[in-house]
Amino acid sequence: MKADGNKGIGGALRAAAGFAKWAALAFFLLAALLPLFWLVINSFRTNLELETSPLGLPTRLSLENYGNAIVTGDLGRLLLNSVIAAIGSVSLNLIVASMASFILSREKFRGRDAIYTIATAGVLIPIVSFMVPYFWMITKTGLYDKLVSLILTYAAINLPVSISLITTFMRAIPKELEEAAIIDGCGFNQRFAKIIFPLSRSGLATAGTFCFIYAWNEFVMAMLFTSSVSSRTIQLGIRYFTSQFITDYTGMFAAIVLSIIPSILVYVFLHDKIISGLTAGAVKG
Amino acid sequence: MRKKGIAKRAWILLYLLPLALLFGAFFIFPLLFNIYTSLMKWKGGGEMSWNNFSNYGKLLGDDTFLLSMKNNLIWALSQGFIQIPLATIVALILARNPKGWKLMRTVYFLPNVISTVAIAKVWVALYNPQYGAINGLLGIFGIPGKNWLGNTDTALPAIIAMTVIYIGYFMIIILASIMNIPKELYEAAEIDGATTLQQELRITIPMIRGTLATSITLAMAYGMRHFETTYLMTGGGPAYSTSTMGIALFLKMDALRYGEASAAGIILIIMGSLVIAVIRRAIGKADPMTEAAQ
Repeated sequence: MKADGNKGIGGALRAAAGFAKWAALAFFLLAALLPLFWLVINSFRTNLELETSPLGLPTRLSLENYGNAIVTGDLGRLLLNSVIAAIGSVSLNLIVASMASFILSREKFRGRDAIYTIATAGVLIPIVSFMVPYFWMITKTGLYDKLVSLILTYAAINLPVSISLITTFMRAIPKELEEAAIIDGCGFNQRFAKIIFPLSRSGLATAGTFCFIYAWNEFVMAMLFTSSVSSRTIQLGIRYFTSQFITDYTGMFAAIVLSIIPSILVYVFLHDKIISGLTAGAVKG
Repeated sequence: MRKKGIAKRAWILLYLLPLALLFGAFFIFPLLFNIYTSLMKWKGGGEMSWNNFSNYGKLLGDDTFLLSMKNNLIWALSQGFIQIPLATIVALILARNPKGWKLMRTVYFLPNVISTVAIAKVWVALYNPQYGAINGLLGIFGIPGKNWLGNTDTALPAIIAMTVIYIGYFMIIILASIMNIPKELYEAAEIDGATTLQQELRITIPMIRGTLATSITLAMAYGMRHFETTYLMTGGGPAYSTSTMGIALFLKMDALRYGEASAAGIILIIMGSLVIAVIRRAIGKADPMTEAAQ
Protein backbone atom coordinates (compact mmCIF):
# COMPACT_ATOMS: atom_id res chain seq x y z
CA MET A 1 0.00 0.00 0.00
CA LYS A 2 2.96 2.28 0.50
CA ALA A 3 3.57 4.93 -2.11
CA ASP A 4 7.31 4.46 -2.59
CA GLY A 5 8.37 2.95 -5.84
CA ASN A 6 11.44 1.03 -4.62
CA LYS A 7 9.57 -2.08 -3.60
CA GLY A 8 12.53 -4.26 -4.55
CA ILE A 9 15.00 -2.43 -2.34
CA GLY A 10 12.49 -2.18 0.50
CA GLY A 11 11.85 -5.90 0.27
CA ALA A 12 15.56 -6.72 0.25
CA LEU A 13 16.12 -4.46 3.25
CA ARG A 14 13.29 -6.11 5.11
CA ALA A 15 14.67 -9.56 4.33
CA ALA A 16 18.12 -8.47 5.54
CA ALA A 17 16.61 -7.07 8.76
CA GLY A 18 14.74 -10.32 9.28
CA PHE A 19 17.91 -12.31 8.79
CA ALA A 20 19.88 -10.07 11.17
CA LYS A 21 17.13 -10.46 13.77
CA TRP A 22 17.22 -14.25 13.71
CA ALA A 23 21.03 -14.28 13.51
CA ALA A 24 21.19 -12.20 16.71
CA LEU A 25 18.73 -14.46 18.50
CA ALA A 26 20.59 -17.57 17.33
CA PHE A 27 23.99 -16.22 18.36
CA PHE A 28 22.96 -15.71 21.98
CA LEU A 29 21.12 -19.03 22.08
CA LEU A 30 24.31 -20.75 20.93
CA ALA A 31 26.36 -18.74 23.44
CA ALA A 32 24.07 -19.97 26.22
CA LEU A 33 23.87 -23.59 25.09
CA LEU A 34 26.99 -24.64 23.12
CA PRO A 35 29.46 -24.51 26.05
CA LEU A 36 27.05 -26.70 28.03
CA PHE A 37 26.63 -29.17 25.15
CA TRP A 38 30.40 -29.35 24.77
CA LEU A 39 30.69 -30.01 28.50
CA VAL A 40 28.11 -32.80 28.49
CA ILE A 41 29.51 -34.44 25.34
CA ASN A 42 33.05 -34.48 26.69
CA SER A 43 31.96 -35.80 30.07
CA PHE A 44 31.35 -39.08 28.20
CA ARG A 45 34.70 -39.08 26.37
CA THR A 46 38.19 -40.04 27.50
CA ASN A 47 40.95 -37.53 28.11
CA LEU A 48 42.83 -38.93 25.10
CA GLU A 49 39.83 -38.43 22.82
CA LEU A 50 39.44 -34.87 24.09
CA GLU A 51 43.07 -34.02 23.46
CA THR A 52 43.19 -35.50 19.97
CA SER A 53 39.91 -34.01 18.73
CA PRO A 54 38.37 -31.28 20.92
CA LEU A 55 35.29 -31.00 18.72
CA GLY A 56 34.67 -34.73 18.36
CA LEU A 57 31.66 -36.71 19.48
CA PRO A 58 31.74 -39.58 21.95
CA THR A 59 32.52 -42.92 20.33
CA ARG A 60 30.62 -44.87 22.97
CA LEU A 61 28.28 -43.97 25.78
CA SER A 62 30.58 -44.61 28.71
CA LEU A 63 29.66 -43.68 32.25
CA GLU A 64 33.21 -44.35 33.41
CA ASN A 65 33.96 -40.68 34.08
CA TYR A 66 30.87 -40.42 36.25
CA GLY A 67 31.84 -43.50 38.22
CA ASN A 68 35.35 -42.15 38.74
CA ALA A 69 34.06 -38.73 39.74
CA ILE A 70 31.67 -40.12 42.31
CA VAL A 71 34.18 -42.54 43.85
CA THR A 72 37.51 -40.69 43.73
CA GLY A 73 36.02 -37.24 44.11
CA ASP A 74 33.79 -38.37 47.00
CA LEU A 75 30.98 -36.54 45.22
CA GLY A 76 28.20 -38.17 47.22
CA ARG A 77 29.49 -36.54 50.40
CA LEU A 78 30.02 -33.16 48.71
CA LEU A 79 26.56 -33.18 47.15
CA LEU A 80 25.04 -34.01 50.54
CA ASN A 81 26.94 -31.10 52.12
CA SER A 82 25.63 -28.77 49.43
CA VAL A 83 22.08 -29.98 49.98
CA ILE A 84 22.39 -29.36 53.74
CA ALA A 85 23.89 -25.89 53.23
CA ALA A 86 21.25 -24.94 50.66
CA ILE A 87 18.20 -26.24 52.52
CA GLY A 88 19.47 -24.90 55.85
CA SER A 89 20.10 -21.44 54.50
CA VAL A 90 16.83 -21.27 52.56
CA SER A 91 14.86 -22.25 55.69
CA LEU A 92 16.64 -19.77 57.95
CA ASN A 93 16.44 -17.02 55.35
CA LEU A 94 12.71 -17.50 54.79
CA ILE A 95 11.89 -17.62 58.51
CA VAL A 96 13.83 -14.43 59.28
CA ALA A 97 12.75 -12.58 56.13
CA SER A 98 9.06 -13.52 56.40
CA MET A 99 8.84 -12.47 60.05
CA ALA A 100 10.45 -9.12 59.31
CA SER A 101 8.48 -8.63 56.09
CA PHE A 102 5.23 -9.28 57.98
CA ILE A 103 6.03 -6.33 60.25
CA LEU A 104 7.40 -4.13 57.46
CA SER A 105 4.35 -4.68 55.26
CA ARG A 106 1.46 -4.86 57.74
CA GLU A 107 2.35 -2.62 60.70
CA LYS A 108 2.77 1.12 60.90
CA PHE A 109 5.37 2.63 63.21
CA ARG A 110 8.11 5.21 63.18
CA GLY A 111 11.31 4.05 61.52
CA ARG A 112 9.64 1.32 59.50
CA ASP A 113 10.61 2.74 56.13
CA ALA A 114 14.15 3.35 57.33
CA ILE A 115 14.50 -0.31 58.38
CA TYR A 116 13.18 -1.44 54.99
CA THR A 117 15.55 0.85 53.12
CA ILE A 118 18.60 -0.25 55.09
CA ALA A 119 17.74 -3.95 54.84
CA THR A 120 17.18 -3.84 51.07
CA ALA A 121 20.14 -1.52 50.43
CA GLY A 122 22.29 -4.48 51.48
CA VAL A 123 22.32 -5.55 47.80
CA LEU A 124 24.48 -2.52 47.06
CA ILE A 125 27.28 -3.82 49.28
CA PRO A 126 29.92 -5.83 47.42
CA ILE A 127 30.07 -8.94 49.59
CA VAL A 128 33.57 -9.68 48.24
CA SER A 129 34.81 -6.74 50.32
CA PHE A 130 33.69 -8.57 53.49
CA MET A 131 36.10 -11.48 53.13
CA VAL A 132 38.28 -10.25 56.01
CA PRO A 133 35.53 -9.59 58.59
CA TYR A 134 33.59 -12.73 57.63
CA PHE A 135 36.68 -14.91 57.95
CA TRP A 136 37.53 -13.34 61.31
CA MET A 137 33.96 -13.78 62.60
CA ILE A 138 33.74 -17.40 61.50
CA THR A 139 37.07 -18.41 63.03
CA LYS A 140 36.47 -16.44 66.26
CA THR A 141 33.08 -18.07 66.84
CA GLY A 142 34.47 -21.55 66.27
CA LEU A 143 32.34 -22.13 63.18
CA TYR A 144 35.32 -22.65 60.88
CA ASP A 145 35.05 -25.81 58.77
CA LYS A 146 31.44 -26.35 59.87
CA LEU A 147 28.49 -26.25 57.52
CA VAL A 148 26.67 -23.93 59.96
CA SER A 149 29.03 -21.14 58.90
CA LEU A 150 27.76 -21.42 55.33
CA ILE A 151 24.11 -21.74 56.37
CA LEU A 152 24.28 -18.52 58.42
CA THR A 153 26.23 -16.60 55.79
CA TYR A 154 24.07 -17.60 52.81
CA ALA A 155 20.86 -16.91 54.73
CA ALA A 156 22.14 -13.47 55.74
CA ILE A 157 23.52 -12.47 52.34
CA ASN A 158 20.13 -13.20 50.75
CA LEU A 159 18.13 -11.17 53.29
CA PRO A 160 18.01 -7.94 51.21
CA VAL A 161 16.60 -9.77 48.17
CA SER A 162 14.16 -11.86 50.21
CA ILE A 163 12.92 -8.89 52.28
CA SER A 164 12.34 -6.90 49.10
CA LEU A 165 10.44 -9.72 47.35
CA ILE A 166 8.40 -10.89 50.35
CA THR A 167 7.49 -7.42 51.63
CA THR A 168 6.28 -6.41 48.16
CA PHE A 169 4.22 -9.58 48.03
CA MET A 170 2.73 -9.19 51.52
CA ARG A 171 1.76 -5.56 50.87
CA ALA A 172 -0.59 -6.78 48.15
CA ILE A 173 -2.61 -9.00 50.50
CA PRO A 174 -5.99 -7.28 51.12
CA LYS A 175 -6.44 -5.73 54.59
CA GLU A 176 -9.96 -7.15 54.86
CA LEU A 177 -8.70 -10.72 55.23
CA GLU A 178 -6.71 -9.74 58.31
CA GLU A 179 -9.46 -7.57 59.77
CA ALA A 180 -11.93 -10.42 59.57
CA ALA A 181 -9.46 -12.64 61.38
CA ILE A 182 -8.87 -10.05 64.11
CA ILE A 183 -12.62 -9.87 64.71
CA ASP A 184 -12.60 -13.65 65.01
CA GLY A 185 -10.08 -13.23 67.83
CA CYS A 186 -6.82 -13.95 66.01
CA GLY A 187 -3.80 -12.63 67.93
CA PHE A 188 -0.57 -11.26 66.57
CA ASN A 189 1.09 -14.63 66.05
CA GLN A 190 -1.98 -16.18 64.50
CA ARG A 191 -2.29 -13.31 62.04
CA PHE A 192 1.20 -14.18 60.86
CA ALA A 193 1.08 -17.95 61.07
CA LYS A 194 -2.50 -18.56 59.90
CA ILE A 195 -3.10 -15.76 57.42
CA ILE A 196 -0.18 -13.77 56.08
CA PHE A 197 2.42 -16.55 55.95
CA PRO A 198 0.22 -19.07 54.08
CA LEU A 199 -1.11 -16.39 51.71
CA SER A 200 2.46 -15.40 50.84
CA ARG A 201 3.48 -18.88 49.68
CA SER A 202 4.10 -17.73 46.13
CA GLY A 203 6.34 -14.84 47.20
CA LEU A 204 8.16 -17.11 49.64
CA ALA A 205 8.73 -19.65 46.87
CA THR A 206 10.29 -16.96 44.66
CA ALA A 207 12.57 -15.73 47.44
CA GLY A 208 13.42 -19.31 48.41
CA THR A 209 14.31 -20.17 44.80
CA PHE A 210 16.75 -17.26 44.58
CA CYS A 211 18.29 -18.20 47.91
CA PHE A 212 18.60 -21.87 46.90
CA ILE A 213 20.33 -21.08 43.61
CA TYR A 214 22.70 -18.69 45.39
CA ALA A 215 23.53 -21.20 48.13
CA TRP A 216 23.93 -24.12 45.74
CA ASN A 217 26.29 -22.17 43.48
CA GLU A 218 28.24 -20.17 46.06
CA PHE A 219 31.99 -20.62 45.95
CA VAL A 220 34.00 -17.83 47.61
CA MET A 221 32.72 -18.18 51.18
CA ALA A 222 32.78 -21.97 50.93
CA MET A 223 36.44 -21.70 49.97
CA LEU A 224 37.19 -19.33 52.88
CA PHE A 225 35.23 -21.10 55.62
CA THR A 226 35.87 -24.80 55.01
CA SER A 227 38.93 -26.99 54.67
CA SER A 228 38.03 -30.66 55.10
CA VAL A 229 35.89 -33.00 53.01
CA SER A 230 33.38 -33.25 55.88
CA SER A 231 32.16 -29.69 55.19
CA ARG A 232 33.27 -29.19 51.58
CA THR A 233 30.51 -28.30 49.12
CA ILE A 234 30.20 -29.55 45.55
CA GLN A 235 31.37 -26.25 44.03
CA LEU A 236 34.61 -26.50 45.95
CA GLY A 237 34.89 -30.17 45.02
CA ILE A 238 34.88 -29.33 41.31
CA ARG A 239 37.77 -26.99 41.87
CA TYR A 240 39.81 -29.61 43.72
CA PHE A 241 39.40 -31.95 40.78
CA THR A 242 41.98 -30.32 38.57
CA SER A 243 44.57 -30.16 41.31
CA GLN A 244 43.88 -33.67 42.61
CA PHE A 245 43.92 -35.40 39.27
CA ILE A 246 45.79 -32.99 37.13
CA THR A 247 45.09 -34.69 33.83
CA ASP A 248 41.52 -35.88 34.45
CA TYR A 249 39.59 -33.14 32.65
CA THR A 250 36.76 -35.34 31.48
CA GLY A 251 36.34 -36.64 35.04
CA MET A 252 35.98 -33.04 36.16
CA PHE A 253 33.44 -32.48 33.38
CA ALA A 254 31.37 -35.36 34.73
CA ALA A 255 31.54 -33.82 38.22
CA ILE A 256 30.46 -30.45 36.81
CA VAL A 257 27.51 -32.04 35.01
CA LEU A 258 26.41 -33.68 38.27
CA SER A 259 26.72 -30.35 40.09
CA ILE A 260 24.61 -28.58 37.48
CA ILE A 261 21.71 -31.05 37.46
CA PRO A 262 20.01 -29.68 40.62
CA SER A 263 20.22 -26.11 39.28
CA ILE A 264 18.73 -27.17 35.96
CA LEU A 265 15.93 -29.09 37.71
CA VAL A 266 15.08 -26.10 39.90
CA TYR A 267 15.10 -23.90 36.82
CA VAL A 268 12.92 -26.21 34.76
CA PHE A 269 10.27 -26.37 37.48
CA LEU A 270 10.53 -22.85 38.89
CA HIS A 271 11.63 -20.61 36.00
CA ASP A 272 8.30 -18.76 36.17
CA LYS A 273 9.05 -17.84 39.79
CA ILE A 274 12.55 -16.69 38.86
CA ILE A 275 11.39 -14.57 35.94
CA SER A 276 8.54 -13.03 37.95
CA GLY A 277 10.97 -12.26 40.77
CA LEU A 278 13.37 -10.57 38.38
CA THR A 279 10.66 -8.53 36.71
CA ALA A 280 8.89 -7.47 39.92
CA GLY A 281 11.20 -4.47 40.16
CA ALA A 282 11.28 -3.64 36.46
CA VAL A 283 7.53 -3.19 36.38
CA LYS A 284 7.78 -0.61 39.14
CA GLY A 285 10.65 1.34 37.60
CA MET B 1 -5.91 -0.18 75.43
CA ARG B 2 -2.52 1.11 76.57
CA LYS B 3 -1.43 -2.32 77.73
CA LYS B 4 -2.39 -3.81 74.41
CA GLY B 5 -0.28 -1.17 72.66
CA ILE B 6 2.78 -2.14 74.65
CA ALA B 7 2.23 -5.82 73.99
CA LYS B 8 1.95 -5.14 70.30
CA ARG B 9 5.13 -3.10 70.32
CA ALA B 10 6.89 -6.00 72.02
CA TRP B 11 5.67 -8.38 69.33
CA ILE B 12 6.87 -6.03 66.60
CA LEU B 13 10.33 -5.88 68.15
CA LEU B 14 10.40 -9.64 68.61
CA TYR B 15 9.54 -10.24 64.94
CA LEU B 16 12.27 -7.85 63.82
CA LEU B 17 14.87 -9.29 66.20
CA PRO B 18 16.09 -12.16 63.96
CA LEU B 19 16.57 -9.72 61.09
CA ALA B 20 18.44 -7.31 63.35
CA LEU B 21 20.76 -10.06 64.57
CA LEU B 22 21.51 -11.64 61.18
CA PHE B 23 21.69 -8.39 59.22
CA GLY B 24 23.66 -6.74 62.00
CA ALA B 25 26.15 -9.60 62.13
CA PHE B 26 26.66 -9.94 58.37
CA PHE B 27 26.26 -6.39 57.05
CA ILE B 28 26.60 -3.70 59.74
CA PHE B 29 29.29 -5.26 61.92
CA PRO B 30 31.51 -6.31 58.96
CA LEU B 31 31.32 -2.82 57.50
CA LEU B 32 32.41 -1.19 60.78
CA PHE B 33 35.01 -3.89 61.43
CA ASN B 34 36.38 -3.44 57.91
CA ILE B 35 36.73 0.32 58.34
CA TYR B 36 38.46 -0.19 61.72
CA THR B 37 40.92 -2.87 60.58
CA SER B 38 41.73 -0.95 57.39
CA LEU B 39 43.43 1.59 59.66
CA MET B 40 45.40 -0.99 61.61
CA LYS B 41 48.55 -2.96 61.15
CA TRP B 42 47.18 -6.48 61.54
CA LYS B 43 48.29 -9.94 60.48
CA GLY B 44 44.94 -11.63 61.07
CA GLY B 45 45.89 -13.01 64.47
CA GLY B 46 47.47 -11.17 67.37
CA GLU B 47 47.71 -7.49 68.09
CA MET B 48 46.41 -4.65 65.98
CA SER B 49 48.10 -1.29 65.99
CA TRP B 50 47.23 2.04 64.41
CA ASN B 51 49.37 2.69 61.39
CA ASN B 52 48.37 6.11 60.20
CA PHE B 53 46.56 5.21 56.94
CA SER B 54 49.66 3.43 55.62
CA ASN B 55 47.49 0.49 54.40
CA TYR B 56 45.78 2.86 52.00
CA GLY B 57 49.09 4.51 51.13
CA LYS B 58 50.67 1.16 50.33
CA LEU B 59 47.78 0.05 48.12
CA LEU B 60 47.55 3.31 46.19
CA GLY B 61 51.31 3.32 45.67
CA ASP B 62 51.30 -0.27 44.45
CA ASP B 63 51.29 -0.69 40.67
CA THR B 64 49.51 -4.04 40.75
CA PHE B 65 46.67 -2.60 42.87
CA LEU B 66 46.34 0.36 40.51
CA LEU B 67 46.23 -2.11 37.61
CA SER B 68 43.50 -4.00 39.49
CA MET B 69 41.49 -0.80 39.86
CA LYS B 70 41.91 -0.08 36.16
CA ASN B 71 40.80 -3.62 35.31
CA ASN B 72 37.70 -3.17 37.48
CA LEU B 73 36.93 0.00 35.55
CA ILE B 74 37.28 -1.92 32.27
CA TRP B 75 34.99 -4.58 33.72
CA ALA B 76 32.42 -1.98 34.76
CA LEU B 77 32.44 -0.22 31.40
CA SER B 78 32.21 -3.43 29.37
CA GLN B 79 29.36 -4.80 31.49
CA GLY B 80 27.48 -1.50 31.35
CA PHE B 81 28.13 -0.50 27.76
CA ILE B 82 28.58 -3.81 25.90
CA GLN B 83 26.42 -6.28 27.81
CA ILE B 84 23.47 -3.93 28.36
CA PRO B 85 23.23 -2.83 24.69
CA LEU B 86 23.39 -6.48 23.61
CA ALA B 87 20.69 -7.39 26.14
CA THR B 88 18.59 -4.45 24.94
CA ILE B 89 18.81 -5.54 21.28
CA VAL B 90 17.66 -9.05 22.14
CA ALA B 91 14.90 -7.70 24.42
CA LEU B 92 13.65 -5.42 21.60
CA ILE B 93 13.45 -8.38 19.25
CA LEU B 94 11.76 -10.67 21.78
CA ALA B 95 9.25 -7.97 22.77
CA ARG B 96 7.76 -8.22 19.27
CA ASN B 97 6.93 -11.82 20.17
CA PRO B 98 8.64 -13.82 17.43
CA LYS B 99 7.90 -17.52 17.34
CA GLY B 100 9.20 -19.25 20.48
CA TRP B 101 10.11 -16.05 22.32
CA LYS B 102 9.10 -17.44 25.71
CA LEU B 103 11.29 -20.50 25.33
CA MET B 104 14.17 -18.35 24.09
CA ARG B 105 13.80 -16.07 27.11
CA THR B 106 14.07 -19.12 29.35
CA VAL B 107 17.15 -20.42 27.53
CA TYR B 108 18.96 -17.07 27.59
CA PHE B 109 18.68 -16.98 31.37
CA LEU B 110 19.78 -20.60 31.86
CA PRO B 111 23.53 -19.87 32.32
CA ASN B 112 22.61 -17.53 35.19
CA VAL B 113 21.36 -20.41 37.34
CA ILE B 114 24.54 -22.42 36.76
CA SER B 115 27.41 -21.88 39.19
CA THR B 116 30.28 -19.59 38.35
CA VAL B 117 32.64 -22.48 39.10
CA ALA B 118 31.03 -24.65 36.42
CA ILE B 119 30.90 -21.86 33.82
CA ALA B 120 34.46 -20.73 34.56
CA LYS B 121 35.88 -24.27 34.42
CA VAL B 122 34.11 -24.97 31.13
CA TRP B 123 35.51 -21.78 29.61
CA VAL B 124 39.02 -22.52 30.87
CA ALA B 125 38.69 -25.77 28.95
CA LEU B 126 37.19 -24.07 25.88
CA TYR B 127 40.10 -21.59 25.81
CA ASN B 128 42.73 -24.29 26.43
CA PRO B 129 45.45 -24.15 23.74
CA GLN B 130 45.80 -27.96 23.46
CA TYR B 131 42.29 -29.35 23.54
CA GLY B 132 40.00 -26.30 23.70
CA ALA B 133 37.06 -25.97 21.34
CA ILE B 134 37.80 -22.30 20.55
CA ASN B 135 41.13 -23.07 18.88
CA GLY B 136 39.52 -26.16 17.37
CA LEU B 137 36.83 -23.99 15.76
CA LEU B 138 39.34 -21.40 14.57
CA GLY B 139 41.44 -24.20 13.09
CA ILE B 140 38.55 -25.18 10.82
CA PHE B 141 38.76 -21.71 9.26
CA GLY B 142 42.53 -21.87 9.09
CA ILE B 143 43.06 -19.29 11.82
CA PRO B 144 45.98 -20.12 14.12
CA GLY B 145 45.00 -20.68 17.75
CA LYS B 146 46.23 -18.77 20.76
CA ASN B 147 46.93 -19.45 24.40
CA TRP B 148 44.04 -17.15 25.27
CA LEU B 149 44.30 -17.18 29.06
CA GLY B 150 48.07 -17.54 29.21
CA ASN B 151 48.86 -14.35 27.35
CA THR B 152 48.85 -10.90 28.98
CA ASP B 153 47.34 -9.34 25.83
CA THR B 154 44.40 -11.72 25.47
CA ALA B 155 43.57 -12.96 28.99
CA LEU B 156 41.45 -10.02 30.16
CA PRO B 157 39.51 -9.61 26.87
CA ALA B 158 38.94 -13.38 26.78
CA ILE B 159 37.37 -13.46 30.25
CA ILE B 160 35.29 -10.33 29.63
CA ALA B 161 34.09 -11.67 26.26
CA MET B 162 32.69 -14.85 27.81
CA THR B 163 30.81 -12.87 30.46
CA VAL B 164 29.21 -10.20 28.25
CA ILE B 165 27.54 -12.79 26.03
CA TYR B 166 25.52 -14.07 29.00
CA ILE B 167 22.84 -11.43 28.58
CA GLY B 168 19.90 -13.29 30.16
CA TYR B 169 19.67 -11.52 33.51
CA PHE B 170 19.41 -7.95 32.21
CA MET B 171 17.56 -9.00 29.06
CA ILE B 172 14.69 -10.32 31.19
CA ILE B 173 14.51 -7.09 33.22
CA ILE B 174 14.59 -4.92 30.08
CA LEU B 175 12.08 -7.14 28.26
CA ALA B 176 9.58 -6.87 31.14
CA SER B 177 9.90 -3.11 31.03
CA ILE B 178 9.29 -3.00 27.25
CA MET B 179 6.21 -5.20 27.57
CA ASN B 180 4.76 -2.65 30.00
CA ILE B 181 4.64 0.08 27.36
CA PRO B 182 1.03 0.70 26.26
CA LYS B 183 0.39 -0.91 22.86
CA GLU B 184 -1.58 2.14 21.68
CA LEU B 185 1.63 4.15 21.33
CA TYR B 186 2.86 1.74 18.68
CA GLU B 187 -0.49 1.62 16.91
CA ALA B 188 -0.48 5.39 16.57
CA ALA B 189 3.09 5.36 15.24
CA GLU B 190 2.18 2.61 12.79
CA ILE B 191 -0.60 4.76 11.37
CA ASP B 192 1.87 7.64 11.00
CA GLY B 193 4.03 5.31 8.91
CA ALA B 194 6.93 4.93 11.35
CA THR B 195 9.21 2.00 10.61
CA THR B 196 10.03 -0.59 13.26
CA LEU B 197 13.44 0.96 13.84
CA GLN B 198 11.91 4.42 14.23
CA GLN B 199 9.37 3.05 16.69
CA GLU B 200 12.11 1.45 18.80
CA LEU B 201 14.23 4.61 18.81
CA ARG B 202 11.42 7.10 19.41
CA ILE B 203 9.04 5.16 21.62
CA THR B 204 10.65 2.11 23.23
CA ILE B 205 14.06 3.47 24.23
CA PRO B 206 12.70 6.70 25.79
CA MET B 207 9.98 4.73 27.61
CA ILE B 208 12.45 2.26 29.18
CA ARG B 209 15.03 4.91 30.02
CA GLY B 210 14.66 4.33 33.75
CA THR B 211 15.12 0.57 33.45
CA LEU B 212 18.13 1.02 31.17
CA ALA B 213 19.69 3.43 33.66
CA THR B 214 19.13 0.94 36.47
CA SER B 215 20.53 -1.92 34.40
CA ILE B 216 23.65 -0.01 33.41
CA THR B 217 24.17 1.07 37.02
CA LEU B 218 23.80 -2.48 38.33
CA ALA B 219 25.94 -4.00 35.59
CA MET B 220 28.70 -1.50 36.31
CA ALA B 221 28.41 -2.08 40.07
CA TYR B 222 28.83 -5.81 39.41
CA GLY B 223 31.84 -5.03 37.23
CA MET B 224 33.44 -3.04 40.04
CA ARG B 225 33.12 -5.96 42.44
CA HIS B 226 34.16 -8.62 39.92
CA PHE B 227 36.12 -11.43 41.54
CA GLU B 228 34.91 -14.98 41.15
CA THR B 229 35.14 -15.79 37.44
CA THR B 230 38.61 -14.31 37.08
CA TYR B 231 39.82 -15.91 40.29
CA LEU B 232 38.71 -19.30 38.99
CA MET B 233 40.01 -18.84 35.44
CA THR B 234 43.39 -17.17 35.89
CA GLY B 235 43.79 -16.29 39.57
CA GLY B 236 44.57 -12.75 38.39
CA GLY B 237 47.44 -13.78 36.12
CA PRO B 238 49.37 -13.92 33.92
CA ALA B 239 51.56 -11.24 35.52
CA TYR B 240 48.52 -9.67 37.30
CA SER B 241 47.09 -8.71 33.88
CA THR B 242 43.59 -9.89 34.90
CA SER B 243 43.74 -8.91 38.58
CA THR B 244 40.84 -7.03 40.15
CA MET B 245 40.45 -5.29 43.52
CA GLY B 246 38.72 -8.40 44.87
CA ILE B 247 41.64 -10.57 43.79
CA ALA B 248 44.13 -8.12 45.29
CA LEU B 249 42.16 -8.26 48.54
CA PHE B 250 42.23 -12.05 48.51
CA LEU B 251 45.97 -12.19 47.79
CA LYS B 252 46.68 -9.74 50.64
CA MET B 253 44.68 -11.99 52.98
CA ASP B 254 46.62 -14.98 51.75
CA ALA B 255 49.85 -13.12 52.54
CA LEU B 256 48.51 -12.39 56.06
CA ARG B 257 48.34 -8.66 55.38
CA TYR B 258 44.85 -8.31 56.84
CA GLY B 259 45.07 -4.57 57.36
CA GLU B 260 45.83 -3.96 53.70
CA ALA B 261 43.17 -6.48 52.68
CA SER B 262 40.60 -4.54 54.73
CA ALA B 263 41.71 -1.30 53.11
CA ALA B 264 41.30 -2.91 49.68
CA GLY B 265 37.76 -3.85 50.74
CA ILE B 266 36.97 -0.28 51.74
CA ILE B 267 38.40 1.09 48.47
CA LEU B 268 36.24 -1.47 46.63
CA ILE B 269 33.11 -0.29 48.47
CA ILE B 270 33.92 3.38 47.82
CA MET B 271 34.69 2.80 44.12
CA GLY B 272 31.47 0.81 43.73
CA SER B 273 29.40 3.54 45.40
CA LEU B 274 31.08 6.20 43.25
CA VAL B 275 30.19 4.34 40.08
CA ILE B 276 26.57 4.07 41.18
CA ALA B 277 26.44 7.78 42.10
CA VAL B 278 28.12 8.96 38.89
CA ILE B 279 26.01 6.83 36.57
CA ARG B 280 22.79 7.78 38.30
CA ARG B 281 23.75 11.43 38.00
CA ALA B 282 24.70 11.00 34.34
CA ILE B 283 21.83 8.96 32.95
CA GLY B 284 18.98 9.70 35.25
CA LYS B 285 17.31 8.38 38.31
CA ALA B 286 16.85 4.72 38.93
CA ASP B 287 15.93 2.46 41.77
CA PRO B 288 18.55 -0.25 42.10
CA MET B 289 17.30 -1.43 45.47
CA THR B 290 14.01 -2.86 44.32
CA GLU B 291 15.25 -3.93 40.93
CA ALA B 292 18.27 -5.82 42.16
CA ALA B 293 16.15 -8.83 42.90
CA GLN B 294 19.09 -11.21 42.77
